[in-house]
Amino acid sequence: MTSIRRQLITGLIAVVALAVFLGAAVVYRQARAELDQIFDYQLRQMALSLGDQSFESTLEGNAREEFDFVVQVWSREGLRIYFSRPHAVLPNRARLGFETMASAEGLWRIFSMQQRGVTIQVAQPMRVREQLAASAALRTVLPFIVLLPLLALVVWFLIGRGLRPLNAVANAVKARTPSALDALPVERLPDEVKPLVLALNDLLGRLAQALEMQRQFVADAAHELRTPLTALRLQTQLVERAQSEDDRRAANAAVSGGLQRATRVVEQLLTLARQEPEAGARGLTKIDLLDLARDALAEHALIAEEKSVDLGIVRGEPATVEGEANALRILLANLLDNAVRYTATGGRVDISIYTDDHRAVIEVIDNGPGIPLEERTRVFDRFYRRAASDGSGTGLGLAIVKRIVERHNGSVTLADAPERGLRVRVELPGTLA
Amino acid sequence: MRLLLVEDDAMIGTSVQHGLRQDGFTVDWVRDGQAAELALGAESYDLVVLDLGLPKKPGLEVLRGVRRKKNLVPVLVLTARDAVSDRVTGLDAGADDYLVKPFDLDELAARIRALLRRRAGRADPLIRHGNLTLNPATRESTFNGKPLVLSVREFAVIQTLLDRPGAIMSRTQIEERLYGWGEEVESNAVEVYIHALRRKLGADFIKTVRGAGYMVPTKS
Repeated sequence: MTSIRRQLITGLIAVVALAVFLGAAVVYRQARAELDQIFDYQLRQMALSLGDQSFESTLEGNAREEFDFVVQVWSREGLRIYFSRPHAVLPNRARLGFETMASAEGLWRIFSMQQRGVTIQVAQPMRVREQLAASAALRTVLPFIVLLPLLALVVWFLIGRGLRPLNAVANAVKARTPSALDALPVERLPDEVKPLVLALNDLLGRLAQALEMQRQFVADAAHELRTPLTALRLQTQLVERAQSEDDRRAANAAVSGGLQRATRVVEQLLTLARQEPEAGARGLTKIDLLDLARDALAEHALIAEEKSVDLGIVRGEPATVEGEANALRILLANLLDNAVRYTATGGRVDISIYTDDHRAVIEVIDNGPGIPLEERTRVFDRFYRRAASDGSGTGLGLAIVKRIVERHNGSVTLADAPERGLRVRVELPGTLA
Repeated sequence: MRLLLVEDDAMIGTSVQHGLRQDGFTVDWVRDGQAAELALGAESYDLVVLDLGLPKKPGLEVLRGVRRKKNLVPVLVLTARDAVSDRVTGLDAGADDYLVKPFDLDELAARIRALLRRRAGRADPLIRHGNLTLNPATRESTFNGKPLVLSVREFAVIQTLLDRPGAIMSRTQIEERLYGWGEEVESNAVEVYIHALRRKLGADFIKTVRGAGYMVPTKS
């Protein structure tokens, strides 16, 4: 039973009924005690008053039915000389004083005394006392018994009214759509409901924020896809327009360049989406960054050679981290890709891997143009592309690097290279090999 | 017709410049807002094709700056954002037309021609003067009802002169309309084109105003 209303009503009625029953029992007991005193006193007084009579002959009383006292009188010789109701089932004997005795007609209260040679006994059925006590008890609790259904009704109504804010909250929650996640009203809410609504509001707020971030990401992504698609569309039109074979060849080359860029943007977007904080954690393994760096180096060697960029590892020491191998591979690839891309022909890109104070460090130093101080935070924003860039970048590389570093509880900083160019330093929490 | 193209994306810029040149326009291309303002301050353009998402200075600010200086040059805005509010903002900031990316080269050229036509105060897509008819869209021309073959440059020179009949244009002004940045200007190129045009249209079609330049007289 999960209805608060039903639980409360049932509990309440049970408790009230128990209280009424206990009350009735107490009243009954008290009434009995008082009635015992009064009736015992009466029995005694009656016997005393009978003692003054003279019972000359044996006679049978003819007491009326509603007179529920029974009187017996014995002579000195033990002869019954008076009996108020012959059919009464009392024994023909007496013990002096008060006595309670069972008979075929129930319990009797009996008082016997001797006075001036005769024994007088007055008896009364206990039933009388029981009935009187019971009716006293009933009189006391009757109003409660009558009021009980009314009480249940009132409580039912009150609980309904008390719970109405909950219904209001439920309706308000129902009305919320993913596009309208504003907070629920908390005014005039009972104290019991407020924490629930406040918690809900907190959740709604975080949801709205996450949704807004997602929406922004999708909008940004669509916007960013438009640029390479626009370029592609224009490039294909130039192919159609081409008059000469040379024109066509140049236009086709442009199309393939455009396609390459569009593909890269899509790939990078996917990578970024996978590195979003909401994406669940994947298996962590112990990874030697030096191994990863060697792999990344091998992958970029060809591009570097094409551009006559001298790409190599200058400091290679073991550095082990606990992380996602694939993510770290992407991180290194992006760093090398950027460095080679923005370094002029004949430039130099140096990779260092080492451990410094329990931190695994990746450093990529190029002798390209570098990034001015004021842009060093912005380049980590997704889709931020520097004015001087040649348009082949996606604006996502460093954003991806940052996400991956954050997922690994590390840090990434940009600084000037010793001579000229950029030094990217990634620090990750290291583990013992 | 000399256009300023302001577009930060290298691939889009290259393609648009290339395509518009094929359509007979002279196109200068800059890649950020500041360069656009410099170019607009230094040269006079017949039209500006302006991307809104620009580094250094947003396109909208460039546009507002142009209008603040009472520069009436037609501006066609390129935008990647297709929300109505973005387009409204662009038009309200002083743009004459807009195109949403991705767009079609032919449509871009057609809209440019329409804007230039409107600026010249013509409703007719064809430029007519006397017995000469020019079609800027196809770059075909007829003279006395017969097809006339004009080279791209010749067409550009006569179109420039017919843009404002009766006005004198100096040799330098014509050169500016013909050559973008980085294009080699032969020293007597304009004279050569004028000479060729006179041969095809008759000696009186273009008048030389000594010490000032050339003009196509309005029909009396």
